[in-house]
Formats: sequence, C-alpha cells, structure tokens
Amino acid sequence: MIITLWHYLSVAAVLFGLGLIGFLTRRNMITMFLCAEMMLQGVAINFVAFARYHGNLQGQVFVLFILTVAACEAGVALALILMLYRRSKSLDSSDWQSLREMGVPPSVDTEPLAQPAPEPADEPLPKAGVRPPLSAEEAAHV
Amino acid sequence: MHVFALSSTQLSVGQFALAAILAFLGVFFLLPRPKGRSIWEGIVALAAAAVVFGIWLQSTYGNPMPDLLGSVLFWLFSAGALVFGTVLVVQRNPARGAIAFAFVILSTCGLFLLLAAPFLMAATIIIYAGAIIVTFLFVLMLSHPKGESNENDRTREPLLGTLAGFSFVSLVLFTLYLTYVGRGDENAPYATRNPQHLPAPVLTDEERKTIAEAIARLDETDEQLSGDLKSRRNERIDFFDALKKNISRVVGDPQDEARETRQEGLLRARLKKEPGKKEPGKLGDGSVLYRDDPQMLGVIARADKIRKMNWDVHERLENFVLSQKGNPEEIRNEYHHLRDELVLLNGSAELPGRNVENLGFILYADHLLAIEMAGTLLLVATIGAVAIAQKRGVPE
Repeated sequence: MIITLWHYLSVAAVLFGLGLIGFLTRRNMITMFLCAEMMLQGVAINFVAFARYHGNLQGQVFVLFILTVAACEAGVALALILMLYRRSKSLDSSDWQSLREMGVPPSVDTEPLAQPAPEPADEPLPKAGVRPPLSAEEAAHV
Repeated sequence: MHVFALSSTQLSVGQFALAAILAFLGVFFLLPRPKGRSIWEGIVALAAAAVVFGIWLQSTYGNPMPDLLGSVLFWLFSAGALVFGTVLVVQRNPARGAIAFAFVILSTCGLFLLLAAPFLMAATIIIYAGAIIVTFLFVLMLSHPKGESNENDRTREPLLGTLAGFSFVSLVLFTLYLTYVGRGDENAPYATRNPQHLPAPVLTDEERKTIAEAIARLDETDEQLSGDLKSRRNERIDFFDALKKNISRVVGDPQDEARETRQEGLLRARLKKEPGKKEPGKLGDGSVLYRDDPQMLGVIARADKIRKMNWDVHERLENFVLSQKGNPEEIRNEYHHLRDELVLLNGSAELPGRNVENLGFILYADHLLAIEMAGTLLLVATIGAVAIAQKRGVPE
C-alpha cells in the first residue's frame, strides 16, 4: 500500500480528537494543557502533509509559526497556572467553578475518593527500666 | 434474507465501525475515576480495536506493499503517536503524562521526517520536548499533589466527553475516506484519477547537471559579448550555439519551429505517459502528463517560458553578430534574464533537499511581516508571564 496524503490526514485527525477528549474530560490543569498541545501537533502534521503533497513550503512555514505561538502560549499558561495554584493550593480546574456560565449548575463530586489504607500503628515500646524478654539466641547462650 | 450476504462495502464499513466502538470503549474504561477504573478491560478493548483495524486494513489493501520500508515506518510512527496520545489522556499521574507527551512529540517528528521536513523535526524536538515539557515538569514539581487527589482521579463527564470526541473524529475520518477513496464508484473527487503520491522526481540528476552547465556557460556571456565584436566571430557563434543546444536539451524547442532536428526536451519526454490523447490545458501537444500536481505544472510552465526565451535571444544574437543589427547591452540583459530563469528552474525542484535554505528564503522573502509579529508576540508573552507570576503583597 502506498502511503498517500489521506493516511497522514487521518492520523492527524485522530491525534486531534484524542487531545480534544483529554481537554474536555480531565481536571488537572497541566494535563489539560498538554492535551491542547497535542491538538496543535495534529494540526501541524496536517500542514506538513499538505506542504509535501503540494510541492511547496508554505505549510512548513505555518508550522514554524504554530511552534512559536505554542511556546508563547506555554509561557503565559504556566504563569497563570502558578497563580491559580497559589490561590487555591491545588491544580484542580473544578475549584474555579464560580467562573462558569450563568444557568449551569455546578458539578459536584458525588463519589468519594478512595482513602489510602491506614498505616499500621507502631508497636508500643516496652516500659523503661524493665529488662526485655530474652530472644531465642540469647536464651540458648550458655 | 441471508444475514452474511453483506456487500464488501458494508462489511468494511462494519469492521471500521466495530474498531471505532471498541476504541471508544477502551478510552472510556481507562479514564481515571475515584472508584477505580477497569484498566485491563480498557487495554483489552483497545487491543481488540487495533486488531479489528488491522483486519480491515488487510482486507481492503491486501495487495503486496510496494514501498515496504516507508509503510512500516509510517505505521510505526503513527501507532506510537496514537498509543502515547492515549496514555497521555488516561494517565492519572501528570508527570507520567508529560513523559508520554514527549514520546508523542518524537513520533510526530518521525512523521515530519517522512514528509520531507527535517528542519521542522529538529525544531519541534528542541522546542517542545526540550523547552515546553521541561517547563511543565518544573511547574509540576512546584505544585504536585500527594496521593489521591481530586484533579488526578476524577474525570469530568467521561461518557459525554468521549462520545463527543469520537463522534467528531469519526465524522472527519468518514469525510476523508469518502473524499480520497470513494465508495467504489468514481464519486471521490481525489480518487484513483489523481493518486496523490509522487512517483516521478521533478528534475532528474541529468537534467539538473545540464542546467548547471548552461548556467556556468551563461556566466561567460558577458565576456563573450564584450570586446571587439568583429573578431573571433566563428568562436562566438559556436559558443552561443552550444549554449542554446544545452538549454533546449532540457526544455525542448518551440513547437512552431518546423525543423527536422527539433528536440522534445528531457523534461517533457520523461513526463509524457500516453502521446496522442487529447488533454487540453495541460500540454499543448495533446499528450497526458504522468505527474500533474501543482509543483510539476509550475515547473513545466517555467520550462516553456525558458524554451521561448532561449530561441528568441539566440535569434537576436545571430542577427547582431552576423549583421551588426541590435544593441549589445539589450542582448546582455536578456542573457542575464535567461540565467535567472534557469536558476529558478533548478531551484523549483529542490523541495526536500535544501530544506533549511529554502525555508529561510521563503520566510525572509514572503513572510517577513509575520516573522516580526511572531517575535513581538514572544516578547509580549515573556513580559506577560513575568508580570503575571509575580508574588503580590496581599493574598486575597
């Protein structure tokens, strides 16, 4: 099978769709941003494939600009994420639900998080001044 | 009605739909949830989706693959990009997600390399995997939660979100399939008529060498046209005759010249597939082009222009040297013009080879304003990031 233009376009479309799903569903702001960057990568593959199959470099020029804008966007987004973390001490985007649309009810977490298993308490130490019981080896010592 | 009497199109559509549904289920199972997610079911579903997709691929394109290495590399990089993309989307731990994203970038850069963009491959790896991901990991180190947390273990609307994404992707893939492959009849706009792959090189090595020789000869025309023009007449005529033959060996002689020694030109002879069939607008002599993408058509148009120029300037030169009619200055300028056109013809075929130089040339010549604006954008973004992230005095 000869790999033609539309194979590249479909790979790019699926990558874009995965980024879309991640951006819509995840709550960690850093993961959401990485999914947005993945959408940009899908678009970049699209452009470079068209540049190859039209025989000029205009698509590659645009991908260079995508790279530049993605770098700017990363800088500003990380600064914003740091500021939001300072306010709410977590990276959860659901902490900022007061910014939602009017008329949309807030999304409440109904399922409780799984609690980690409690660590077993340490064994109590023997009282001071009391001789500890002999171990097997010490008892066998003559 | 016999239930297995499905047509082959329906069967392939059914296989494709089954692969899509299995992939949807896999991603849905793998998205993190507080009650725990079914990792194994998700992985099994995704593996089943890959298997069904492979079966569909095999049944549709069961012929032996002509370009084995290229195909294998393409499938490897695509599979890497999609698998690591899925890992990024479903991974609980954002640091692991960032590493998966680094592998997505590497696979994407492999695809760039297959598409003849080596500079973009290097630039993307440096900027994304080198700068952006490292910055993300730094911010993550400053702000990562410990243990179970709301943001890592909960998903916002997993069912509807996944459904929306997969509906969108299925729509796009279906449209691509119809456009480029068609339903079996000739309805696809870009189907078999125009296979969208590049079988023939734009200029072969021999043509390129001949053009380079012609350019070297053209560099000497100034000297040949100067000095006492009555002496060494035969030598001059021989020189310019050789130059004309050199150029017309590649681009051919004009059609209206009724000579026995008329040359077709290497370029056209190589690209003609079936002489004699009428194809108006592509080649004047009624033959069909083997390659008719925009790059090739541009090269052929330029070659036609050179063909005419070559003949005209040689006629003027002959008039000038033999009967002293005409202005040497004008003839010299025309030869300079011809040299520029030949250099452009040589360069118009150089898509993957001199990628960095050509990219730099296009950026500087055509997109200077955009470059300056991108630089300003970077400056403003840096200043903005520093201004946003400063510690304020009052906490609330």
